Amino acid sequence: MTKPLKGKLALVTGSGRGIGKAIALKLASQGADVVVNFFRNRDGAEKTAREIENLGVKVEIIRANIGDPAKIDEMFDIIKNKFGYLDILINNAASGVGRSVLDVDVKAWDWTMDINAKAALLCSQRAALLMEGRNGKIVNISSLGSSLTWPSYAIVGISKATLEALTRYLATELSPRGICVNTVSASTVETEAIKFYSRVKDMRHPTPAGRMVTPEDVAAAVAFLCSEDAFMIRGQKIIVDGGTSIAPFAALKEKQG
Amino acid sequence: MSTEEQIREIIAEITHVDKESITRESSFADIKADSLDIVQAMVAIEETFDIEIPDEEAQGFQDFGDFIGYVERCVADKEKA
Repeated sequence: MTKPLKGKLALVTGSGRGIGKAIALKLASQGADVVVNFFRNRDGAEKTAREIENLGVKVEIIRANIGDPAKIDEMFDIIKNKFGYLDILINNAASGVGRSVLDVDVKAWDWTMDINAKAALLCSQRAALLMEGRNGKIVNISSLGSSLTWPSYAIVGISKATLEALTRYLATELSPRGICVNTVSASTVETEAIKFYSRVKDMRHPTPAGRMVTPEDVAAAVAFLCSEDAFMIRGQKIIVDGGTSIAPFAALKEKQG
Repeated sequence: MSTEEQIREIIAEITHVDKESITRESSFADIKADSLDIVQAMVAIEETFDIEIPDEEAQGFQDFGDFIGYVERCVADKEKA
């Protein structure tokens, strides 16, 4: 059977590790060629690329700090010159500063918003041009912190709320070009990023579904939104959280026994 | 200006500390830099010298001496190439 994404080209930002890596591998397993973007973790990106190659598809690694608009342009220039098209863009790369809202300074705000929100806008603008006539898909990766609050998560949560609003505007305005834009939002996922918030206790918690969300769970939802079955889904958010957001007291109950 | 001088200037500017407090024996912890200061300093230094400092390398730096030494080696390698 022909793989559903055979002949498609996907760019997954921040795919050297964690959720981005799982998404890149999932799309590759469905036949897509993949551009692996990374910034701080070359070893991880090269390892991801080798795993993708083993799935029998093409892979290109591009190092770019997507917090810098000039570097985004350079990345897309490489894609344009090398391939000349793009079918799937996954705005996954994220960063942040673990502070309470009163401690967020201009530097922390700009750093986080540049990477988590502005980069998604700029990448989508460039991607849309390369998706001309190709029924492109854009998926933005968000988190429950866009609408719920967690300690030390303020600026990241705000940036994710911006990203989700961006999804809706992109979905509306890119729809006439045949491009589907949606959000996949996850609760706490078992990745290295969790260490970043190590000051926050109990980030690891079971969900009503009985376990934590894995990067592969998120990747599966992304792959669905990249399939033609999802053609009529525009500007929506799929929440991958094992039921956490609809059962806020589940974790509490578990602790009390 | 030497590589070491340039690095000290960049770190001082980003972390808002006195350049004199950045010595080969001191570290980001000594000047109370937070994680954002550190990554921004890395980015600025990578761009200034057109080099790459992978995280796995950076995690091994005990003090600015290690950091400066690594950048100096990268710059020397680039000049040779």
